This record gives sequence, structure tokens and C-alpha cells, in this order.
Amino acid sequence: MKISRRNFLRLASFSTLGAVACNFFDEREFISQSPVQLPEDLVTGRDNWYATLCRQCSEAEGLVVRIMEGRAKKVQGNPQYPTNLGGHSIRCEAGLQNLYHPDRISGPLLRQGARGTGLYSPISWDQALDLLRGHLQAQTDRSRVLTVTGPLRGSMAHLTSAFTDAYGARHMAFQPMEDAAYDQVMQDVLGQQTSPTFDFKNANYVLSFGADFLGTWKAPVQFSKGYGEFRQGLGRRNRGTLVQVDSWFSLTAANADTWVPINPGMEGMLALSIAQVIISEGLAPQDRINQLTGGQGSSALDAYAPNIIAQQLGVPPLHGTEPHEVIREMARGFARSGSRSIAIGGSGASAHTNGAFNLAAIFALNFLVGSVGAEGGVVLNPPAPVPELAKTISAASTGEWHRTVADISNGRTGVVMLRGVNPVNDLPGDIGLQQTLNRDDIFVATFSSFMDETAEMADLILPERTPMEDWGDDVPSPGPGFEVIGMQQPVVNPLPGMNPMGFADILLQLSREIGLDGATPLNMPTYHHLLQDQARKIQALERGSVQNANFNSFWNSLLQQGGWWDRDATADSDPSMPNLAEIASRASQPIITGRTDGNTFNLIPFQTVSLADGSGANLPWLQSSSDPLTTVAWTTWVEISTLVADAIGLKEGDFVRVEGANGRSFVAQIYHHPAVPPNVIGIPVGQGHTASLRYSKGRGENPLHLLGLPLEEQTQSLAWAGTRVRIVPTGESSPIPKFEGIVPAFVPNQEEAIVKVTRG
Amino acid sequence: MQEGKILGYRRINRDLLRGVFENPVKYWAIVLFLGLVVLFAVGAAGFMVNRGIGVTGLNRPVFWGFLITNFVFWIGISHAGVMLSAILRLSKAEWRRPATRAAEVLTIFSLMTAVLMPFIHTGRPWRLMYWVFPYDFSRGIWPDIRSPLVWDPSAVNTYLLSSILFVFIALVPDLAVIRDRSSGIRRIAYSVLSLGWRGTPRQWKLQAIAGILLSALILPVFVSVHSIVSWDFGMAVSVNSWHSTIFAPYFVIGAVHSGVSGVVTVMIFMRWLFGWEEYVRREHIDALGRLLIVIAIAWFYFFAMEFLFGIYGQEGDELATRSLQIFGHPWGWLFLTFIITAFFFPVPLWLFRNVRRSFLWMTITTISVNVGMWLERFIIIVPGLARKQIFTQSWYTYAPSPIEIMIVAGTFALVLMLFLLFAKVFPLIPIFDIKEGQILTDEIKVGRRRVPAVIREE
Amino acid sequence: MAETKKWAMVIDLDRCTGCQACVVACQAENNIPINEEKDFLSRRAKQWIRIDRVWEGTWPNVKARFIPVLCQHCENAPCEPVCPVYATYHNSQGLNVQVYNRCVGTRYCANNCPYQVRFFNFHDPEWPDTFWNQLNPDVTVRSRGIMEKCTFCIQRIRRAERTIEGRDGGKVNDQSLKAGNYMPACVNACPTNTLTFGDINDPNSDVSRRARDPRHYKLLDHIGTSPSVIYLKKVDPNAPEEEAH
Ligand SMILES: Nc1nc2c(c(=O)[nH]1)N[C@H]1C(S)=C(S)[C@@H](COP(=O)(O)OP(=O)(O)OC[C@H]3O[C@@H](n4cnc5c(=O)[nH]c(N)nc54)[C@H](O)[C@@H]3O)O[C@H]1N2
Ligand SMILES: Nc1nc2c(c(=O)[nH]1)N[C@H]1C(S)=C(S)[C@@H](COP(=O)(O)OP(=O)(O)OC[C@H]3O[C@@H](n4cnc5c(=O)[nH]c(N)nc54)[C@H](O)[C@@H]3O)O[C@H]1N2
Ligand code: SF4
Ligand code: SF4
Ligand code: SF4
Ligand code: SF4
Ligand code: SF4
Repeated sequence: MKISRRNFLRLASFSTLGAVACNFFDEREFISQSPVQLPEDLVTGRDNWYATLCRQCSEAEGLVVRIMEGRAKKVQGNPQYPTNLGGHSIRCEAGLQNLYHPDRISGPLLRQGARGTGLYSPISWDQALDLLRGHLQAQTDRSRVLTVTGPLRGSMAHLTSAFTDAYGARHMAFQPMEDAAYDQVMQDVLGQQTSPTFDFKNANYVLSFGADFLGTWKAPVQFSKGYGEFRQGLGRRNRGTLVQVDSWFSLTAANADTWVPINPGMEGMLALSIAQVIISEGLAPQDRINQLTGGQGSSALDAYAPNIIAQQLGVPPLHGTEPHEVIREMARGFARSGSRSIAIGGSGASAHTNGAFNLAAIFALNFLVGSVGAEGGVVLNPPAPVPELAKTISAASTGEWHRTVADISNGRTGVVMLRGVNPVNDLPGDIGLQQTLNRDDIFVATFSSFMDETAEMADLILPERTPMEDWGDDVPSPGPGFEVIGMQQPVVNPLPGMNPMGFADILLQLSREIGLDGATPLNMPTYHHLLQDQARKIQALERGSVQNANFNSFWNSLLQQGGWWDRDATADSDPSMPNLAEIASRASQPIITGRTDGNTFNLIPFQTVSLADGSGANLPWLQSSSDPLTTVAWTTWVEISTLVADAIGLKEGDFVRVEGANGRSFVAQIYHHPAVPPNVIGIPVGQGHTASLRYSKGRGENPLHLLGLPLEEQTQSLAWAGTRVRIVPTGESSPIPKFEGIVPAFVPNQEEAIVKVTRG
Repeated sequence: MQEGKILGYRRINRDLLRGVFENPVKYWAIVLFLGLVVLFAVGAAGFMVNRGIGVTGLNRPVFWGFLITNFVFWIGISHAGVMLSAILRLSKAEWRRPATRAAEVLTIFSLMTAVLMPFIHTGRPWRLMYWVFPYDFSRGIWPDIRSPLVWDPSAVNTYLLSSILFVFIALVPDLAVIRDRSSGIRRIAYSVLSLGWRGTPRQWKLQAIAGILLSALILPVFVSVHSIVSWDFGMAVSVNSWHSTIFAPYFVIGAVHSGVSGVVTVMIFMRWLFGWEEYVRREHIDALGRLLIVIAIAWFYFFAMEFLFGIYGQEGDELATRSLQIFGHPWGWLFLTFIITAFFFPVPLWLFRNVRRSFLWMTITTISVNVGMWLERFIIIVPGLARKQIFTQSWYTYAPSPIEIMIVAGTFALVLMLFLLFAKVFPLIPIFDIKEGQILTDEIKVGRRRVPAVIREE
Repeated sequence: MAETKKWAMVIDLDRCTGCQACVVACQAENNIPINEEKDFLSRRAKQWIRIDRVWEGTWPNVKARFIPVLCQHCENAPCEPVCPVYATYHNSQGLNVQVYNRCVGTRYCANNCPYQVRFFNFHDPEWPDTFWNQLNPDVTVRSRGIMEKCTFCIQRIRRAERTIEGRDGGKVNDQSLKAGNYMPACVNACPTNTLTFGDINDPNSDVSRRARDPRHYKLLDHIGTSPSVIYLKKVDPNAPEEEAH
């Protein structure tokens, strides 16, 4: 074409038009894609799977992590690891997001502004450690140093307690919603230092009292593995029966064959009533009954006969069966399966003022049918084979924390070091830790990788390596019924620009610098050396899953397998029988504190399978995974019985003010729940964070702050299920973020169709 | 028998070419206003293409909403043109003359507007060629001819091309009239367009044959287009209220219902705008009104049958959808509005001669029909998706976003604007056809008797 | 070699506890964007495998039932013939494959999937920069405007074929899939062994064995989709006797 003026103008205008049109589109969209290589063919690169441990919750399961090009891509259960056998939970996956979280603190920080303002300046590790060491050495009274960690096991417990002992500091372990009553009862009733596990796989009848063992209680993945077999295990003769006694509709209640609602805190009485039926109907061998009741027979428990106390327990008629008959059926079912029956008392039963009694009465049932130590029963765990690994530091009770915080505020503490915990957020607000830390004569150091509520109160932040970048080991609790030692290895290096340091290595360096390194383990150059030292002791056992005369080979296999275990090394203790009459004599009603006027309900704070106690609330995968029962995500909701809500005139999504036992209150949204008993409301814990982390800040509320300080009478653990709260509609409403739709099903025969979905 | 005065040819030429040669302020004001609305809609559509479908109110499970409703609606409107012209032309209905061209032009512009809808509502509109044209030779992957979404563009394109041809054939003599009355560049343009029309008998004969042939050929196309559009829904086995065998005739008759109503609205509008009192007369809208009664009742029969088929099977999920359509929020009151505005309000009124002959009432009732018919499509498309199958957890609802509302509003403005711009260039009432009508009514004296000037060969 | 594999999954509803581990495992494996609060509110959250919770009965005899629903890889898939561009098609191993390149985003397939398992990218996916490190390099990050859904983790199947058949000369079977972490991510994650995956054309595979359980049924079988996912009924001892189907 000849380029005349006209043509030129025409071309110019066309191309201008074209350019304008193209502006609508992203440039990338024009890149032509290969017509041959379909995504299903695009497989490149080599991957490696490294075994390590999950540290997202205290279950600490075996993992394999997929590494490509130096980056962790996917975590999966380690199929060989005996506790989880390849399974894992939501929280486990989210460990990756912990590793690559955009809000991770990259290096040590020193406080600049006032406490809580979040003004920090970066300093070097040398400066940071000098500063910490300076404060430690400056203390004339070394008990003025308080070290706070999460519950510890294995080498970390060994090392940390060696450090605090050598230095002379106090050491306390913290855990949100701790269950000190449980540990106490395991000692009193089962005579065990270690937590037992339950052989669901071979059990026929499981009677669980407030133990949400499929949700968040203790070791849900380990228990779920057993539960799958309990239901439909290959080669099983019959399908196991699960009866869940629960004052709230937990995930386990949702999966039970029968859910027996009960008034909060009455679980122990129900257990005694079941025992009464078994004894009076002669459903257990006479000699065992005699032993358990001190020869008194059923007379010791006659006050708990179902007819007498069914009313008090608040058990409703189920499927047209009267409550006392429901109890009898439970007793018969439980006894019929003999030693293949398990009675479990969980946190729903222990989180009351009478929690220790409840658990004692419940676990005693196992002796009645002889399931303690039996196949399909309660399985005791042996202690760790290496004494250095047997040490466990379990969480202090809330009562103890109350006293400690009072101590701090009386000026009897000069340095607080916190590792892996966030008590400023997680302790009940009435304890007032935040206000207590806000004073100038305390030096607060945290090893947190994130600027959480506790880190915001710190003078010095020494970000530790995340578990996937660090060494470690673990003795699982509860174990699988035999000796297991898990190994954790760094599977990736920190990202460029990230400069964390292992907590154990910090302790070792401080020991050297302060001069505490006289003996093992404090004289080890690094934590890696310490772990190898422990491994040598395991090697010396010359048994179990990894054996090799050459240490390097042994060590490599240990890491490759993700740990060491010996299936033959089971517990040999034979606990003595508890005395049911004695337990019954300690029976007491739960004390429920709080308001009684207006629309009051028993508050059940509960943990969801995703956020659990809230320590991972800043991880988007946890925030965004919908709660199994309500499908709600990203917020706090109030589960209220549909019947009650309709009566009060509350619609789903309405905001209500929840007024606590202690005068505190917050506003949250209603979720209409067809399965919540009319006398309770459930509110999930885990939200309500104020620290500036992008996925958790300002989301929802923490119901633990509404409780006041109800304590279990015997063990001082937090009686978090024993509070009444009042709800007051605010008149506001908005849609609730949830996965399920909003269209209610109301066609008459719709239910039939829905049931068909799960029943074929 | 036709009413109306006998007008001279000169007068007819002047009146009917008023749109082309005169520039009433009213006209430009309206065009300007419509242009602004269209501009906003183009902005909204551009925003949607730029940001993605996320700016709409669509969700899982309601993946189709306002834009697809609007697509079906405009396809429906497009049905009037050809149906009126072709059927009436073939049946030699006298009163058709002033209505045909407007109806055909409405067809073309509403079709063009309709095809815009599915095009911009795809996630990646710039990949249109993958879908509409079998371009991807190198991979040997051709569009999947099993997909109704491949039938759609073929049917609509065929319909569009044949409609354009249809309009053009009828336009040629008129273009020549304009050619003869214009000068300069305009004259050249019209000369080209009028294909050397001289009005020789041979040319008239050919033009008449082409018109009749096209009328006959286009009728099956017109039936097929809305049948195929209905199969977008009917073929979907998974959506309870869509998967229905009656959809094709039901949609076609529904389209005729809304289309003919649309033509009436537009004719009255033209009459007002161009002062064509002598051409669009009461007898025309009366005749169309009578036609509408028949169409509306036929449509209502199909509507009732479709619903009956739905509930007759007593299937839970189907019933859920149906009850959502009638009782659910907000569909319940939309359904009520639809059934009243599309049927129970206009049809009884049309039974009265006075209403049929009132321009005001016919405007109100025909607009009412189209409000109802738009809602009808909406109520067919969305509730069915909102309650698909028995997965109650995935049931949801839908509300359009401002972007979708702007685009839909823009399509109405666009059709009207194109229509008016067309009137600027071509006569909206066929001049030759009106003259032919005049000749047919002319009478001459033969001896003592007055007889028609032209004896029709029947 | 003649293609003889047909991938299938068995889901035992009596084992599923609704724990959602499979949902997040899929999220992690398949680069599914973070479902933000606004995605839940606008109902655009993506869960290639979702756990539908179904309420049954009234208080106090109320039950919650869980059913994992993922793409059923229908042999006679309604989503396939409606796609104008063959972006979703059936491959020779019984998989319903989604080719992101080809998809123009009509969303017709999603309308026509009775199981509601197709998810549309209403927006471009977004992750903070550091999270890009964890994305799976074997899986395309889908841009906006296209459809996506469960692929039975085809990238793992392909990797298994390349590694086991291509490199090691072995056979892809249950053992090799398990040993090489090539099972779909959801199957690997599930702590109750609810999900079983494998080649249903191999009569000795786990999936074939479990598919023969008398409790087996297929979801919405009456539509005629012929799914490759086989469900085993939930057992409810308290339920009134059901009439035989
Ligand atoms: N997937 C992938 N693709 C890549 C890259 C990647 O990292 N990954 N890297 C890119 C880069 S950086 C590069 S440089 C290119 C390299 O791409 P190429 O240049 O294709 O390199 P090679 O495959 O190493 O070698 C080409 C061929 O040369 C032959 N050859 C070896 N010595 C001689 C010799 O003396 N004379 C002759 N005539 N032939 C000889 C080898 O046998 C081989 O067949 O690939 C690019 N493409
Ligand atoms: N055995 C063997 N050795 C070879 C060759 C061979 O054929 N065989 N080929 C030789 C040749 S030709 C070449 S070019 C070299 C290539 O060798 P290298 O230069 O080492 O190339 P790569 O390993 O491809 O990539 C280097 C790193 O860059 C990172 N990277 C990718 N994008 C970016 C970015 O935007 N910024 C930053 N900072 N990093 C990025 C990648 O993750 C990767 O870790 O290898 C040479 N060495
Ligand atoms: S329960 Fe989940 S988070 Fe806890 S150790 Fe197991 S896999 Fe990890
Ligand atoms: S389940 Fe849905 S998406 Fe999957 S193959 Fe079947 S129709 Fe297609
Ligand atoms: S959304 Fe994509 S895959 Fe689905 S029908 Fe349209 S083009 Fe095909
Ligand atoms: S098979 Fe893979 S893609 Fe499908 S749901 Fe499971 S993890 Fe997701
Ligand atoms: S991981 Fe297993 S048990 Fe948990 S919800 Fe998924 S299928 Fe059910």
C-alpha cells in the first residue's frame, strides 16, 4: 500500500483504536499458550519428601514434607509414624503458611516506643543476645527470672529445665484451656505419669463424656485413625457403637450413634449412675465389683440409680425412650462389650468446678468392665526408653497462673522470657497479665516469630526458627501404646532475608556465655549435637525400628523414618483399682457462676478443628476453613438452639451482645443451630486477636474473657464450661460468612431426598 | 377495508423521508440521552472485562444471571420483525405496510445487542474465536458441536445475516428515492446502496420475488433461533427448572409475544416522534392488538403446560425449584409481577376495542408485556440454578450488581439509539410499500362504476 | 501400550467425621487461592472437595451427616458436551480433565454439573509474595475467568507414571501410589481412611475391593452421569428400617 497522508491517518486511527481496545485486557492474556503442552503434561523438576514432626499442636505427629527447589511445598502425614499413620489435620497443612507467612519477624527487634505500641527497631543477634544475657546476669535473685514455654517433652524439656535449673530461674508451661485436672486424674485413677491412649480400632463400645476426640481433644488424628477402623475396619465382625455424652453438640457428638445431651458438669454423676446399673444388674464379674466398691456392692451407689437422678442430669427422652431407660441402655451396652468398652472423660467433663470428680468417676467405669490395659480398651503408655527424653513439663493450672501473675505485679519478677506461647491473649482477661507486664521494672523477652499480643508487650523479640527450619525430637503424648521417639529435622533453610535462630541454640549459647555449661546437656555446642547425643542412647538400646552399629547410618535412618519406635515395648504397669465408693463420696454438683436474669445460657467455649486454641489464627488456611458443623469461617459466632432463637426472635446473622459472668461483654453473630441444647450457647475460641497480624487482627471475639475465673476445686484448672452468660439482641444484622447456602429447605419431601444423599 | 386518507405520492415521500432529511430537536435530544446511557453501559462492560466477572453478583451456584436473561430477552424481541413481515407479507395482510420495516430493523438491532451479552459475560471474552470460529486448526481441536453454545452462534448469525438481507431487499426502492432527492457524497452513497434501481418492471418483479422467497426461507430460521436458545437451558440435565422438552415452542411463542408487543411500542413511538399520524393509524394497532390476544393466549397455554410438567412428576428437587419460583424471596413477588404484567393485565384490556385503538393504552400494555417477559426469563433462569439438585448446602440466591444493571439498561438505550440512527439514514416506513397500498386502495371510474385501480391476481 | 486404567474413588461415609483435613490438603496441593471472608459472603469460596453437612431430625434426636463431595469424574459427564471449546473432556483413564488454556469461561459446564463441584475464578488469585513459595509447581495457577475443579490430582498420577513407569520401569498400582506419595492429596490426608483411590479396572486394587461393599451407591445415579466416585452408605442403627432401593 502506498503511504499517502490519507492512508497514514487511517492506519494511525486504527492502531489508536486497537490500542484503546487492548487496554481492557491484561497483557498476559495475549501470551499464546503452547498448543501441545496441556497442563496435565506439565510436570517438571524433581521433588523430595523429608520426614519431620508437626508442631502445629501438641499432638506432634510425624510428617513428610515435599521439597522442591529449596522450598517446602506440601506437608503430609508420615505413613510410618505410629501415632498418625499418614493421617493429618487442617492445622498440620497450615504449618507451611507459618513458614512462609508474610508477617514473620525476620530478625531480633528491640522495643522503642511504649509497651504495646508496636514500635521496634531491628538489632543484630549479637546485640540481642548480649542484652538478654546482661539482664539475666544482672539479677541478684535468680528466681526473679520467669521462663514461660508451652508444655515440653523430649530433649526440649530436658534442655530447658536443665537451663532454668542451672540458672535458678522459675519455669512454667502455659497452654490455653489447660487440662490440669486430666493429668491429675490419670495419676489418681490410672496411676500413670503418661497419658493413656484408647484402642478404638478393636473396641466395640465407646462411651465418651465430653471428649471431642474426633475434633480437638488430645490426639484427634491418632484417635480418628482408630475411629475409622472402629466403624468399618476390614475384617471387623461388627460396627463399633459410639455414645457421646455431651452438654454441647461437638463434632464427636455429631458422629456418635447416640448423642446424650446432659446438663453441664453432671457427667460424673451419670457415670456413677451407669456404674450403679452395671453393679445392681450384675453385668460385671462379682469379684471386680467387690474390689471396686470395697465390698459394699451397689449400696455405695444406690443414690445414683437412674430413676432417682435422671431428672437432675438433664438427659432428655431420646427416640421416645425415657431418660432413666436411656441410662440403663448405655450401662448395658457398655457392659455387654466387656473389656472392649472404653469410657473416656474429656475436657467437656473436666472443665467444671467438679471436673476431677467427673473424670475419676468416668475413668473408673473402665475398671468395672476390665478394659484397662486390654485389647479394645484403655491402653497405657510406657515411659520413654531414654531417661533424658522422659521428662515432660505440662501446663500449669490457671490457678497457678493467677498466683504467678499476682507475684509479677507485686514486683517479685525482673525478667520474663516467653517461648511459643501467647498468654497475654490466651489467659482469661480477669488475670490481667497484660496490665501486669506493662511496667518498667520488668524486662520481657519473647522468642516469637510473629508480632502477637504477647510479643507486643516485649522489650526484646528474638524470633526463633519455625519448626520446619529447626531440629527437635518428641515423645508423643498420648503415645500409641508402645515406645516412640519422633525426630524433627530442618527441611528447608529460612527464606533469604529471614534471620531466625533456634530456641535451643539460643539457650546453649546463653549457657556458655553465662557459664552454666558445666554438664550435659548445657555443654553441647549446638542442639543438633544434643540430639545426636540422645540418638546414641537410642542406638545403644539395640532394638526397635532403627538399628545400626554405625552411628551415621543409624542417624540417617532415624531422620529418614522420622523417628524410632519399638512395637514390643509396651507398658507393663498394672494399675490398682480405684474405689468407686470413695469417688462417689467426693461427688459434687458443678458450681455454675454468672448471670441468671434474662436470656441466660450456659456458655460452652469450644475449639474448632481449624483454629483450635487460636494459636494459628493468623494462618489464612485455618481462618478460611469452614467449621464442619456450621460451615462458618473467619469470624466468631454464637451457636444457639433454633427453637430458642425463634422464641426470642433472633435470626441468623443477628448481632447479640454476650454479657459474661465478670461484667465483660462482646458482640457476635447468631448461628441458628438445630442441635444445640436449649439451655446452652456455644462460642468458638481462637479469635479475638488484637495484635496486628493481617489475617487475625480484629476478627471475632474470645469467649474465654467472659468467664471470670472459675476454677476446678481440686486442681485449680480453668472450669471454662461452668459459666452462665446473658445475650441481648443489638438489633443489627448482617450475613454471616459461611460455606453453606442461605436458602432454607422447606419442601415437604425434601428431607427424604437429603437423607438419601448420605444413605444412598 | 383500510381506513385513512388517500395521500399523494409527493406527500408520502415528504412525510416518510422526514426522518432522513429533517432534524427535529426532539430527535437529537433523545439520541443524545440514549448515547449517554450507552456510554455508561460501555464503561460498565469495559470495567467488567477489565476486572473480571467478579464485579457481577454471580456466584456458585448462580453462574448465569442478568446478562443471560437479557440475551434471551433481546433474542425474543428480535422475533417480532421477521414474524410480522414474513407472515404478513406471505398472507398479504394489508395493514402490515407501515409496520414491516420498523419490525425488521428492531430484529436486527435487538439481535446484535443480544449477541453482545453472552460474549461479554464470558470469563475471557478475548478468546471468542476459540468458541465461535473453528480456528484452532493446528491442534485439530474444533469447537464441540455437541454444545448448545456452538449451535447458538450459528443460529443467531444465520438469522442476523438473513434479516439484514431481508431488510436490504425491501430497502432498495426507497434508497433510490432518497438517491434522487440528495446530492453530493450522499447521493453517491445512496447510488451505491440502491444497486442501480431504476424501477423497471423487471427490477420490481425481481424485488418482489426476492422478498417472498426470503420471507419463506427465513421463517424456519426464526423458529430455530429461539428453539436453540431455549436448548441452552433445555439440554442442561442438571437444572431442574431448565431440563424441559416443551422449552422450544414455549420460548418461540414467548418471543413472539414480547416481540410483537415491542413492535407496537416502537410504532407508536415513531408516530409520535416523526408525526406519522397518517401512516400509523388506529386500525394498525387494533389489528396488532387482536393478533396479540391470540399470541398471548397461546403463550399462556405453553407457560401453564411447562409448569404443569414440572410439578407433575412430584420430584422433591423439582418441587423445591418451583416453590422457590412462586413463593421464595424475592422470586415470589417477581413471579406475581411477571404473570400480571405479561398476561393478566394486558390481555383482558385488549379485549376492548377502545383500548386496542388507544395509542396511550397500547403503549402501556405493550410495555407491560415486555416488563413481564423480561422477568419471565429471569425467573426461569435464576431460581433453577439457585436450587440445583439436592445439595442444600450449595443452594443460594442472586442479586445483580450495579454493573449488570447498567449494562442491561444500556442495551435498551442501545437498541433504541441504533433504531433512531437508522431512521436518520433510511426511511423507517417503506415508501414503496405505502404507495403500493395506496394504489391498491385507489379507485377509478369505469363507466359509471368505481372499481379498484388494481385487480389483484389471487 | 493399551490404556487399561480407570481411576476411581470410594468414599466410606461411615468413616467420615467431617474433619475437613481433605479440604485443606486439596487447597494446598492444587494452589487453590485463599478463600477470604468476602468470598464466603459472596459465595465464591472454592473447595474442590467440600464436606456437605446435612441435618437430620429435630432436637434432641438430631444428627449431622457429613458427605465429602468432589468431582465425580462422571463417565457420562453432563459438564463435557456443553463446553463449546473442549476445555473439559474425558480422557482415556476415566478422568474428567479440565484444560485451563482452552476455557473461555462461559460457566455453562458449572450450571450443568449436578454435583456443584465446578468453581469459577471470578477474580485473579492473590497471595502475599512469600506465599508464592509454597505453591505447587506441578499445578497451574488459574487466572481469572476460567473454570476449575477437582482433577483427581492428575499431576500426581502423571508424576507416578513418569517416575514409576518411565524411570523405574515398574507398574503404577496401589502400593507404588502409596509409597511414592502419589495418592491424591485428600486421600493422603484423611485421618479416618474414608477415601480410597485407585484403578477400578484392577480387580485386586483397594478401590475395587471396597467398591464391592454392599453399602455402595452412586450419587444422583438417576441422572445417568455414571460417576467414578462410589459412596458407601452411612450406617445409622437408630434409623427406622429403610425400604430396599
Ligand atoms: N528446561 C530447561 N530448558 C533450558 C534450560 C534449563 O535450565 N531448563 N536452560 C537454558 C539454557 S541456559 C541453555 S544454555 C540452553 C542449552 O540448550 P542446548 O544448547 O540445546 O544445550 P544441550 O542440550 O546441553 O546441548 C545440545 C546438544 O549439543 C550436543 N553436543 C555436545 N557437544 C557437542 C559438540 O562438540 N559439537 C556438536 N555439534 N554438538 C555437541 C549435545 O550432545 C546435545 O545434543 O537450554 C535452555 N533451556
Ligand atoms: N551439569 C551441567 N552444568 C551446567 C550446564 C549443563 O548443561 N550441565 N549448563 C551450564 C549453563 S549453559 C548455564 S546457563 C548454567 C546455569 O546455572 P545457574 O545460573 O545456576 O541456573 P539455574 O540453576 O537455572 O538457576 C539459578 C537460581 O536462580 C533462581 N532464580 C530464578 N529466577 C530468579 C530471579 O528472578 N531472581 C533471583 N535472584 N533468582 C532467581 C532459581 O530459583 C535458581 O535457584 O549452568 C551451567 N552448568
Ligand atoms: S493434630 Fe494436626 S496439627 Fe496437631 S500434630 Fe497432628 S497433624 Fe499436626
Ligand atoms: S461431577 Fe460435575 S464436573 Fe465432575 S465430571 Fe461430573 S458433571 Fe463434570
Ligand atoms: S466455563 Fe470453560 S470449561 Fe466450562 S463450558 Fe465454558 S469454556 Fe468450557
Ligand atoms: S483428588 Fe486431588 S484435586 Fe480432587 S479433591 Fe482430592 S486433593 Fe483435590
Ligand atoms: S479428611 Fe476424611 S474424615 Fe475428614 S472430612 Fe475429609 S473425608 Fe471426612
